[in-house]
Amino acid sequence: MKSLAGSRGRLATLVATVMLSAAACGDKPLTTMDSAGEKAAQINDLALWVFAIAGVIFVLVQGMILYSSKRFRVKPPEDPDQERPGGYSDDEFPEQIHGNDVLEWGWTALPALILAVVAVFTVVVIFEQDDVQASGDPLVVEVVGQQWWWEFQYHLDGNTDTPPDIVTANELVMPVGVDIPLRVQSRDVIHSYWIPRLNGKRDAVPGRSHPWVLQANEPGRFMGQCTEFCGLSHAYMRMFTVALSQADYEAWVAEQLVDAEQLSEGDVGYEGQQLFIAQCAECHIIEGVTDRDGDPSNGVDSTDLYVGTAGVDERYTDSLTAGAAPNLTHFMSRETYAGSFFDLYDEDGNVNRAQLEAWVLNAPAEKPNRPDNLQGMRAFLNLTPDQLEQIVDYLETLQ
Amino acid sequence: MAIVEDTPRELTTGQPAVAERPLGVLTRPTSTEGWKSWLTTVDHKRIGILYGAAAIFFFVVGGIEALLIRLQLARPGATVLGADLYNQVFTMHGVTMIFLVAMPLGAAFANYLIPLQIGTRDVAFPRLNAFSFWCFLAGAIFINTSWFLGGAPDGGWFAYAPNTGVLFSPSNGMDFFAIGLQITGIASLLSAINLIVTVVNLRAPGMTWFRMPVFTWMMLVVQVLLLFAIPVITLALFLLMFDRLWGANFFNVEAGADPLLWEHLFWIFGHPEVYILILPAFGAVSEIIPVFSRKPIFGYKFMIFSGIAIGFMGWGVWAHHMFASGIGPISVAAFSVSTMFIAVPTGVKILNWMATMWGGRLRFTTPMLFAVGLVSMFTIGGLSGVTHSVAPADTQQTDTYYIVAHFHYVVFGGVILGLFGGMYFWWPKVFGYALDDRAGKWNFWLMLIGFNVTFGPMHLLGLQGMSRRIQTYSSGQGFDLWNMVATIGSFMIALSVLVFVGNILQSYRTRNRRPPVGPDPWDGRSLEWATASPTPVHNFDYVPVVESLDDFWHRKWGEDEDGNIVRLATAEQIAQTGERRDVHLPSPSYWPLVVAIGLPIIGYGLIFNYWLCMVGGAIVLGGVYAWIMEPTDDPDAAHGPDGHDDHHDGDGDGNGATTDESEAEELEAPVG
Repeated sequence: MKSLAGSRGRLATLVATVMLSAAACGDKPLTTMDSAGEKAAQINDLALWVFAIAGVIFVLVQGMILYSSKRFRVKPPEDPDQERPGGYSDDEFPEQIHGNDVLEWGWTALPALILAVVAVFTVVVIFEQDDVQASGDPLVVEVVGQQWWWEFQYHLDGNTDTPPDIVTANELVMPVGVDIPLRVQSRDVIHSYWIPRLNGKRDAVPGRSHPWVLQANEPGRFMGQCTEFCGLSHAYMRMFTVALSQADYEAWVAEQLVDAEQLSEGDVGYEGQQLFIAQCAECHIIEGVTDRDGDPSNGVDSTDLYVGTAGVDERYTDSLTAGAAPNLTHFMSRETYAGSFFDLYDEDGNVNRAQLEAWVLNAPAEKPNRPDNLQGMRAFLNLTPDQLEQIVDYLETLQ
Repeated sequence: MAIVEDTPRELTTGQPAVAERPLGVLTRPTSTEGWKSWLTTVDHKRIGILYGAAAIFFFVVGGIEALLIRLQLARPGATVLGADLYNQVFTMHGVTMIFLVAMPLGAAFANYLIPLQIGTRDVAFPRLNAFSFWCFLAGAIFINTSWFLGGAPDGGWFAYAPNTGVLFSPSNGMDFFAIGLQITGIASLLSAINLIVTVVNLRAPGMTWFRMPVFTWMMLVVQVLLLFAIPVITLALFLLMFDRLWGANFFNVEAGADPLLWEHLFWIFGHPEVYILILPAFGAVSEIIPVFSRKPIFGYKFMIFSGIAIGFMGWGVWAHHMFASGIGPISVAAFSVSTMFIAVPTGVKILNWMATMWGGRLRFTTPMLFAVGLVSMFTIGGLSGVTHSVAPADTQQTDTYYIVAHFHYVVFGGVILGLFGGMYFWWPKVFGYALDDRAGKWNFWLMLIGFNVTFGPMHLLGLQGMSRRIQTYSSGQGFDLWNMVATIGSFMIALSVLVFVGNILQSYRTRNRRPPVGPDPWDGRSLEWATASPTPVHNFDYVPVVESLDDFWHRKWGEDEDGNIVRLATAEQIAQTGERRDVHLPSPSYWPLVVAIGLPIIGYGLIFNYWLCMVGGAIVLGGVYAWIMEPTDDPDAAHGPDGHDDHHDGDGDGNGATTDESEAEELEAPVG
C-alpha cells in the first residue's frame, strides 16, 4: 500500500513517455527503420547503405530489362495465317553474338568487388554488435523465454550463479543510455527475443545462454514480438522494454526489491489472497506471500528454478512447479500481461478489470493455450463471479 | 545400355533369344494405352507428365492453403483459422509448395526433357524412374492424409527442435512429416542417381559436355545437389522420427542435446534445396530466351560454370539462416561473407540473360513473358537476399515478412514463373498442341501483377516488424493496410491459376481445330525439337549424332559467304517423323508401383500399429523380389518383325560420331 502513490505517479510518467514514443514512431511500434538505441542504429547505418546499393542495381537491371524489351521487341504478324515457326521470317536475324569475354569477366568481377566492400563493413559491424560498453552498474539480466511469455531475472551484482534479485515478466525495465547485457535463454522451445527499435533479435535456445545487449537513447516503451516460431500461441507472445531515466530506474529497483505484504483478515484483498494461495500459487509466485526463497510453509520451494536456468526445467515432464508462470509480486507495476498481449490499464489509467477477470476465469478462451499439455494457463471455471472479483481485488494490491 | 538393348540374350542367360513366356504376375504388362498403362509405365515422358500433373494438383492444394493464410491475415484479429489450424496450414503450405510442387515440377521437366535433349530413348533405369514417381506420390499422399488422421504437421516446414518433439507437438502431424518426407526423399535420391547416370552415359554420339543444352546442365547440377542434400535431411528426419516414436534423445535438451544440431542439419540440406528448386527454372529460361531473342545464349560457358559454381557455393552458406540463433560472431562473419559471394554467379546469369536479349529480335510469346518475368522478379529476390547476407541487418529481417517477401520472390518469382514459362514452351512438344497464347498472356499478367501485389508489400510489413508465422496481429501495429493488399493480390494469383487451368482445358478441346504445331513450333535450338510432336514413344527413330552446340538449329540455318544467315532446311524436312515401329523399348512393370504402395503402409504402421508395418514390409519385400525376378523385357513387346530389334537400317553415314563407341555402331543415322 505504501508505495501506491509513488508508483501511480511513475505510471503517469510512463504513460506520458509511451504517448511520446508512440507519436515518434507513428503507429508502427515494431518498426525496424526507426532506431532508438545504438545497436539498432549501427544496424540501420549499415543496412541503409546496402539498401541504397541494392536500390541502384534494382533500378539499373529493371531499367535495362524494360528498355531492351521495348527497343528490341518485334511484333508478330497481324494476320494469323502468316504465322511462321517462332513468328519470325527467314531473313529476320539479329547479329549472332555468342558472348564477350571482357564483358562477362567484367560483370563477374564488378559485383564481387562491390560485395567485397560491403563485406568489410559488414564484418566490422558484426563484431561491433558484440561489444558491450561497461557501465558502472554490474547488472546482468537473464531473459528467459517460455511458452508463451518472457521472464526477466535481474542480477544486480552481475552474478548469475546466485538466485536473481528481481524476477519480473513481459516487461524488461532498464536504465536509459547504458548497455544492458542480457543472457537470452529458454525453458522449453526456441524463442527469439526482439525489440526492433533497440536491436536485432537473438534466439532463446534451450540449453544455451546467448549474450545480447540492449541500449536505449531516450526513455520510452519499446514493443517486441517473439520471432522464432514457438508453437500454438507464438503470435500472442509479445514483450516490452521500458527504458527509464537513471533515477526512475533506481526507484523501480527499490520498489521491486520489496516483497508483497501478507494481508490479514479485514484488509482489502484478503479473500482474494486466500483464493490466490489456494488456486493460483501452484504456478504463480508472489514473494512474501507464496515465497520462492525456500519457505516451505506454502509448499513452495522454487529457488532451483532460478539458478542455472540454462536448461529445460522439468516441469514439462513432471508437474507444474511454482514459478512456472509469471511472478506476480509487482503485477500492477506492469502495463501488460499474458505475454504482453493484454493491456492492464485503459487509456485513462484505470485497471481494465473485465479483461483481467475474463483472463483469470478462462485463459484458453482469451489466448490460444494447451493447458492439458502443460502449455499455458488453464481455465478456472469453478470460480464464482464474487471470487473473480476478489482475486482481481487482490491483484490490484500487488503494486 | 538399358535403353537400346542390343545385347543378344544368349550372352546373359544361355537361353534362346526369345524366352519362354513366364507365368502369372511376373509377366510384364504389355499395354501402352488406357489409364492402366499409366500405372505400369516406365516411359520417361509419361513419368514426366505424371510428375507434372501431380505437381499442378498439389500447387492447387498448396495455393488453397495460401489463400486460407491470407484470409486469416487480411485483417487484425481475424478468426478464419484458429491458432492450431493456422500452424498446420502454414506448415503444410510450405511443405506442399517445396516438396510436393517445386521439386516434382522440376522433376517433371528433368524426366521429360533430359533424355530428349541428350538424344537418347529413355533414362538409364526406367523401372527405377517409375518407382521414383510412385514413391514421391505415395509420400505426398501420406503426408496429406494427416489432415484426416488427427492433424497435419504443425511445427513449420523447417521443423525446429525441440518444438517438434512429442512434448510440444503432441498430434501425429510431425510423424507424418518425418516419415512422409523420408519417402519422398527416396524418390528424389533415386531420381538423382538415375538422371546423373543417364546424362553421364546415355548422351548421343557427339553430345560432348559442352554441347549439352544449358537446361540439361542445370538439371545435372540439381541432381548432384540432390544426391548430397537428400541424405542430410533424411538423416535429420530419421533422428526426429526416433525421437518422436521411440523416445530417443537426439533433440532432447534435458538429456544434453543441443537444438542447434537440428538447425544445422536442416539448413545444410535446406540451402542447397533452394538451388535445387531454382536451377530447373534457370535452365528453362536459358532455353526460352535465346529462342525468342533469335540469338544464341550469351556466354554459354559462363552460364554453365556459374551454375556449377552455385552448386558448389550452395554448400557453404547454410548458416545464414541462423544469424540470430547464437552461433557466435566468427561463424556469422564467415557465413555472411560466403553468402554475399554466392550472389556473384547468380548475377552473372541475370546479366547473361539480359545480354542475350540485347540486340535480339524479341518476340513476347507467353513463354518469353514468363522467362523475362523470372529475370526481373528473381533479381528483386536476389537483391533482397544480398540485404540478408549483411548479418547485422539480417538480425532485424530474419523471421519477419521481409524474409517471406524475399523467398517468395525467389521461389515464386523464380521457380514458378520460370517453370510456367517452361510449360507454355514445351507444351506443344509434350502434347502435340499449343496452349493458347492470348489466355497465356492473361495468365502471365494476372500472375505477375497478383504476385507483386501479394509479396511486394511484405517487404514493408517485414521492415515494419511483422513477424513470420504469426496467426494474427493487432490493429495499431501498422500492419492492417498492407496485409489487406497482400490478400487481394493472393486472389489475383488464384485467378491467374484458374486462367491457366482453363487454358489447358480450352486448348485441349480446340486442339484439332487449330493448325498442327509440327515438330518445331518455335524454331527451337535443341534436340527435343528434332522429333515429332507429341514426342513418339521411342523419342527418336534414329538416335541423332551431334556436331555442335545447338546442333538442331545449325542444321536448319547456315551462313552464306557474307555471313548472313540462310536457311538450309526447314524443321519439317530434317526432324524425325517418329514413324518407326520396331524400336525396342523397356517393358512396363507393375512392381515400382507395388513397392511404392508398401512404403506409406509401413509409415502408418509406425504411427498407429506395428502390425501394419508387417503388411507394408511384406508388400515392399515381395515387390522388390518380384521386381528382381521379373523378366528384363516382355519377350513379345515392341520388337521388329524378326523378333529382335535391329537398328541397322539407316543410311549409315555416321560422320563425326566417333566419341561414343558403344552406341556409335547402332546409332548411325544423324538427323540430317
